[in-house]
Amino acid sequence: MVTSSIVNTYPLSSYSFGTKEPKMEKDTSVADRLARMKLNYMKEGMRTSVEAILLVQEHNHPHILLLQIGNTFCKLPGGRLKPGENEIEGLKRKLSSKLAANSPNMQPNWQIGECVAVWWRPNFETIMYPYCPPHISKPKECKKLYVVHLSEREYFAVPKNLKLLAVPLFELYDNVQRYGPVISTIPQQLSRFQFNMIPA
Amino acid sequence: MEIINERMNNGDRSGNLVFDIYPLSSYYFSSKPALSFKDETLADRARRLKSNYDAHGMRTCVEAVILVELFKHPHLLLLQAKNCIYKLPGGRLRPGESDVDGLKRKLSSKLSADEDYYQTQWEVRECIGTWWKSDFETLPYPYLPSSGKNPKECTKLYLVKLPSSRDFIVPKNLKLLAVPMCQLHESRKTYGSIISGIPQLLSRFSINMVGS
Repeated sequence: MVTSSIVNTYPLSSYSFGTKEPKMEKDTSVADRLARMKLNYMKEGMRTSVEAILLVQEHNHPHILLLQIGNTFCKLPGGRLKPGENEIEGLKRKLSSKLAANSPNMQPNWQIGECVAVWWRPNFETIMYPYCPPHISKPKECKKLYVVHLSEREYFAVPKNLKLLAVPLFELYDNVQRYGPVISTIPQQLSRFQFNMIPA
Repeated sequence: MEIINERMNNGDRSGNLVFDIYPLSSYYFSSKPALSFKDETLADRARRLKSNYDAHGMRTCVEAVILVELFKHPHLLLLQAKNCIYKLPGGRLRPGESDVDGLKRKLSSKLSADEDYYQTQWEVRECIGTWWKSDFETLPYPYLPSSGKNPKECTKLYLVKLPSSRDFIVPKNLKLLAVPMCQLHESRKTYGSIISGIPQLLSRFSINMVGS
């Protein structure tokens, strides 16, 4: 494992963006989502989900790519693994599903880096913790966040119903209200990396 | 320049992220004479830090994240000075001193007999987080100042692995506490952003509680 970790970040302008068919959310409310999670848990056991931190730079400050649903809710690209699916392969699958054009000759070669955070869901509720709480032997979900190293040029095709935003770390830091506890702590979890900001 | 490569394509990349911790009861604690702290006014401190900055550049502090197990939950070792000042064991690097050497020196000073500096083995593992201050009186942030200004101070947190047992010798004017991770999380008012953020920095490790 490389412990002296350097991440190359390229300007937002070196990437191009198009659209593709909408990817609707499977659930229309939080309650529905938790109910579906419970059903899946009974069939398959603990859910493992993987999410990607894609970094670009603007004005020499790192920015993370987030998908915005509707007017306010932001999430990282990623999602639930199939039972027995390898985490890295699953994350590549989810990234292509959310951000790659459909044609087979335009698939980005996703470079998955280190895992920077793991969050645990002890019950069928929205709350998650960065450790498995004491006395919880059967967590319902484990979510892992991975840094993804983008190459200098990529083409992203974003589903029509979603917006892709590049949000600076200083905007995410401590902003639990707007981005939730997982995304708002990413700046600290990236602080051990050295960012090599490649100019335009 | 090192590039992060794709490692072996097995789903589990956590093999080298397993971290053993031992029960609090396997460690021994005694005390030694009080450490003297600089007793100066805020204005004096500001002047001292500024003149150090002019002479040597950015102030770098290194701090240790040391864990033990209690009640089947990881606990962080913290030093308490006076009633409400909590600190991680560590301190400022001397000019030209490496992070690891400086941290070992500070750990021996705060947690061992001083004469023992060259004998104590401290196993310093990786850096888990970095905080920067753009000025001495401002708050620390986990990224370089976005203004492009040079930071005045940098604090690096290092994970330190304990052996299965050892003696801790703590200065009389400090208390050594073991605080559960679940208490640190979301207790920013009590412990500050750096200490209360440690559970999120440790989340990627698989903490193996040995012998519990």
